[in-house]
Amino acid sequence: MTNLQSTAYFLPELLITGFAVLIVLIDVFIGRAGRNRVIWTLSLTAVVVVGVALYVQPVPGEALFYGSLAADPFSRFFKWIFLLATAIIYFISPYTRQLKDTAQNEYYLFLLLVMLGMFLMASALDLIIIYLSIEIVSIGSFVLAGFLKSDRLSNESSLKYVIYGAFSSGIMLYGLTLLFGLAGSTSIFDVQEALANLPQGSELMALVALVMILVGFGYKISMVPFHFWTPDVYQGAPTTITAYLSVAPKAAGFALLLRVLGITFGADPSIPWEEWVPLTGLPFGVLIAVFAALTMTIGNVLAIQQDSVKRMLAYSSVAHAGYMLMAVTLMNAQALQAIMFYLAVYLFMNLGAFVVAIVVHNQFGYDDIDDWKGLGFKIPLIAVPMGIFLFGLTGLPPTAGFIGKVYLFAVLIAAKQFWWLAVVGVLNSVVSLYYYMRILKVMFMDGEPVDKTVSDHPAMTATVLALMVPVLLLGVYWSPLLELIRSSLRIFSPGL
Amino acid sequence: MYNDFAPILIFSVLSVAFIVIALFLQKILAPSNKGDLKSSIYECGEEIEIDARAQFNIRFYVVALIFLIFDVEVVLLFPWAVVFKDLGLVAFIEMLIFLGILTIGLVAVWRRGDLDWVKMEIPYALGRYANLDQAGSHDSAVEPGRD
Repeated sequence: MTNLQSTAYFLPELLITGFAVLIVLIDVFIGRAGRNRVIWTLSLTAVVVVGVALYVQPVPGEALFYGSLAADPFSRFFKWIFLLATAIIYFISPYTRQLKDTAQNEYYLFLLLVMLGMFLMASALDLIIIYLSIEIVSIGSFVLAGFLKSDRLSNESSLKYVIYGAFSSGIMLYGLTLLFGLAGSTSIFDVQEALANLPQGSELMALVALVMILVGFGYKISMVPFHFWTPDVYQGAPTTITAYLSVAPKAAGFALLLRVLGITFGADPSIPWEEWVPLTGLPFGVLIAVFAALTMTIGNVLAIQQDSVKRMLAYSSVAHAGYMLMAVTLMNAQALQAIMFYLAVYLFMNLGAFVVAIVVHNQFGYDDIDDWKGLGFKIPLIAVPMGIFLFGLTGLPPTAGFIGKVYLFAVLIAAKQFWWLAVVGVLNSVVSLYYYMRILKVMFMDGEPVDKTVSDHPAMTATVLALMVPVLLLGVYWSPLLELIRSSLRIFSPGL
Repeated sequence: MYNDFAPILIFSVLSVAFIVIALFLQKILAPSNKGDLKSSIYECGEEIEIDARAQFNIRFYVVALIFLIFDVEVVLLFPWAVVFKDLGLVAFIEMLIFLGILTIGLVAVWRRGDLDWVKMEIPYALGRYANLDQAGSHDSAVEPGRD
């Protein structure tokens, strides 16, 4: 499709760009008084308008911009996740004490631009777009992580993020050039064709390219051993940004991982993905399985030792990437469905847990777990939902986290492959129970009951409660979400 | 297929070996009498003022970044200009939009005062450049950019 025709299907992204430019202009031409408020309102409007555009936008028959971007239901599902995460973060930002004395104009602007990058990540079909979109997300995230300019931890996190980001995207770029050298084209379909027609005995080339690309993608989803930035960045960044980074760019990374690796390193991408097989001679499943096992084990084991809640949640988010990677080993339609389901559920659980951390910080200034003593008595309206989020993150019924995990494990069980990985996953869930329940124990079993309860701004309480609803609801009635995911996946697997 | 890469392997081995041998040979053959003058850095006969790894004003970075953006813009304009006649009006409008967004960036930078080397409106500058301000070079109409 030519550029001019494509713009009709590119409306959400164009709107984001337009609003970003508008925010820049307002930022410089409106006086400082009330500017934060105006830009906040405008940003929320932007999210709503983009949501409407995304909802009404028709599905084109072919890829946009000469085959470099897809506007299919698969990418649309991920775009909903990004929009929802951005909207929630926008909504709670004015009520976050950490951001009180900062000029939030750039904060909102960069969040919007990061969202644009993630939109492109979810629909990339071209090596250049893959790299470009990852960079848009990364550079925006660097700025946001270091947003608290006078806070040393925030500066440290930003610098570490930049260095890791530059390093891993450099390696990924080298992997992409290898693929380009093989195919002579930047389209991932051409690359797949070139890889499938490699002469016998040269699978090593595909393997090297795969590992190099995994460095870049693994950095985005914080896969071990490319996770080193995660705890420091999550601890140092403003908590709203930590919440955002743990959900949205991770989902975007998985969108890339599923589509790009699935097409590029699949033996035949045109077959229904129920029976996805990797390129002959490429140990795709084993490679990912090892990464998945490492990611969950290291994430969970290190989370046990953390005393800072934000650091603990950071390691837990590493572990969750491992659970989702478990399904990537098989990459069939069922695996895609399980990962997308888990990402949607994880959005609510993890954002919820972080919003609770923000409320606690607002009220008491705590980040250390031991300080959370008796919070169950002081702020029951926040502590009880926190319990539900933690149950969800552990994967206990009747929360949505349980259903999500069941689907992830079912992928391995149904395929009758990688039994050992499923065992590692179950053992890891047991380990994670320890540190999640530690927070619950500190909140409800330590400390004394108090007469007076504290409450935060009603908007924050409402957000926490609103995030709790889907975690509980999707735990008992999840078929609408599953149906949405299945309809998004029919382009890969018509029978689903 | 890997045979095609054999020359590269041989070349890399040879180049590493060349460096090692050359350094090793000069180590044992060359006379070594070090002195202060001899181990100092030669800069076209000029005497060294300070260490090159000094801290310098962060505003150099801002200027460098602004320069970089417009430099890349020009790099993008060249290939566009080469194929412009084949692509026609759509390419022209696309480039106008691109330049428009960049111009908005320039306007933002300008309004924020990042183009002025001496930023009068930021608090700490008033101490250091207070006498400059009295000389009347300060345009008080500029709205404070940074908070």
